Amino acid sequence: MRRHPTPFRSRMHLLLLFAVSACGPHIDDAPPEAAAATITVVDATGTERHLRGPAQRIVSLVPSATSTLRALGVESRLVGRTDFDTAPWMQILPSVGGGLDPNLEEIVALQPDLVIRFAGEQDPRTPARLDDLGITHFALRPDRLEDAYTSITQLGALTGSEQAADAVVAEIRAELDALRSAVASRPRLRTVYVLGGTPPWVAGSGTYIDDILSLSGGDNVFSDLGSLYASVSPEQIRAREIDVVLVSSAGDFDPTLAPGARIVEVGGTLEIPGPETAEAAWRLAELLHATKLR
Amino acid sequence: MEIGGTPPRYEAPLSRSTLGGLLVAALLISLLLGVGFGSVPVPTGDVLSVLSGGGTDVQRDIVMNLRLPRVLLGMLVGGSLALAGATFQALLRNPLAEPYILGISGGASLGAVSVIALGLVSASSWALPLAAFAGALLAIWLVFRVATATGRAMDVRVLLLAGVVIAAFFSACIAFILSISPARTVQTAVQWSMGSLAGASWGSVLVAAVYTLPAAGVLIALSRPLNLMSIGEETAYYLGADVEGVKRTTLLIAALITAAGVAVAGIIGFVGLVVPHAVRLLIGSDHRALLPLSFLGGAVFLTLADLAARVVMDPIEVPIGVVTAFIGVPIFLVLLRRSVGHT
Repeated sequence: MRRHPTPFRSRMHLLLLFAVSACGPHIDDAPPEAAAATITVVDATGTERHLRGPAQRIVSLVPSATSTLRALGVESRLVGRTDFDTAPWMQILPSVGGGLDPNLEEIVALQPDLVIRFAGEQDPRTPARLDDLGITHFALRPDRLEDAYTSITQLGALTGSEQAADAVVAEIRAELDALRSAVASRPRLRTVYVLGGTPPWVAGSGTYIDDILSLSGGDNVFSDLGSLYASVSPEQIRAREIDVVLVSSAGDFDPTLAPGARIVEVGGTLEIPGPETAEAAWRLAELLHATKLR
Repeated sequence: MEIGGTPPRYEAPLSRSTLGGLLVAALLISLLLGVGFGSVPVPTGDVLSVLSGGGTDVQRDIVMNLRLPRVLLGMLVGGSLALAGATFQALLRNPLAEPYILGISGGASLGAVSVIALGLVSASSWALPLAAFAGALLAIWLVFRVATATGRAMDVRVLLLAGVVIAAFFSACIAFILSISPARTVQTAVQWSMGSLAGASWGSVLVAAVYTLPAAGVLIALSRPLNLMSIGEETAYYLGADVEGVKRTTLLIAALITAAGVAVAGIIGFVGLVVPHAVRLLIGSDHRALLPLSFLGGAVFLTLADLAARVVMDPIEVPIGVVTAFIGVPIFLVLLRRSVGHT
């Protein structure tokens, strides 16, 4: 799955500024002896990763981690990003290519003390090569809503900004709780999330989109898919009495398959579990219910 | 037995009229099964009431607008692929010949992948089929240019080699485009390349019918000279066949109906290879019977394969190319063993 960075980040960062400044001295101002302390964090592969102190030169291969580091107020420690980090503030950073097929020479040249990468089987090469090169790397698995909290907490520990991370997580939880109550009185909408293709390729349960759909007041009609994503028979779409079809662009879906449904374009920005999760869920809820909720 | 030629004393296990009768019956049965069954259960009584103008809106849509066009498109595409395969096997005198052998799948894929990568698929439901068709035409044009560049006569060996090389070149272009594309583009492209009849509509059925049925008729009408050609071009020439004319006409028509099939249904392997061989093993190599029966056989085979693709993993659809290989390979191996036993 391509992970786009989100362009919207309006409200939360203002709140975060308060949260971070309220936490007392910032980690960047910490005395040198504190920086020498060893940090040990278990990553998404179950491996213990050690740092001699809060990471100071970070290459992020995971777009949601890139934006998390900014939410934690430590984006100045980023030294590299991927081609998929397209937000304006990231553009001063050099790119090391794709998150799953980064250019190792570029990474080495940036002399990072920490590389944040995707856990999973898609890229078996990079972790092995980073081990050979003696570069510390840390695997994130930003697949589900709960993973977003885990990733933020882990990144907080790696950068010595635990309190900022706790504040970000608390903020997201509070926003999502508020969303739950905002949609509680509304009827649940039978929804399908179509990624495109013929036959239509849809999201099942166990996906991040299924998580935020459910707390936005939608029920995924393909929660019985038995697979994270799969192509389904067009007649299944026709028969499942769908209220809303979510697509990234309207042309990706044949509207005659769901005659009574509202077809809602959500763009490609919904699929990033990270600091923007609450913002994305609120936006999804407003699109889903076709009304302003706050 | 020599698969590509006309075996002089091959005793066919079935007579032509028997196989013809069986295939017509099978075609009707597969039509009924394809319309009656699918991912969403519709009781037989309701299917019948839909066919006589009743049923609920959902049932009518499923039976009349999703299943029926899909079954008909499957028949047209399956028949065309098998017919094209039989024609290529005769003309190229090569048992490995199949409809995509002249680089058509490579050209069609390049067209499709380009449109997907450029994000133009959303623009119109015809963007993808037209691009695939244009890519297939480009491949056919290139291959024919190369094959005729050597002299006045078209050399089928050069044609085959040109097809392989041009397919390899297109594959490299596709690999390059996919390597710089996001994962979603890759997924859509891979899904397309595995073939599917899910995009069938009455419009695509109409286009496919108007396009492929006359072309199939022309190929079948040329089955007598094809018989001579499958013995050898020189022999055919001395027996009075217009070798160059027949060769060019039949190759071009076979390539063009393949291109149309790819455009509406993606790349569906195995039908064009297995069905003509199976029919040949059952009734022998007389193209006057082989071509029409291959068309019928391909139509039945693809309709049933599509039904399996729709129901075996319900509600998920399996790529139809997977089903054609899973069903086609065992059937073919059994037939091959039998025929070796006969000779």
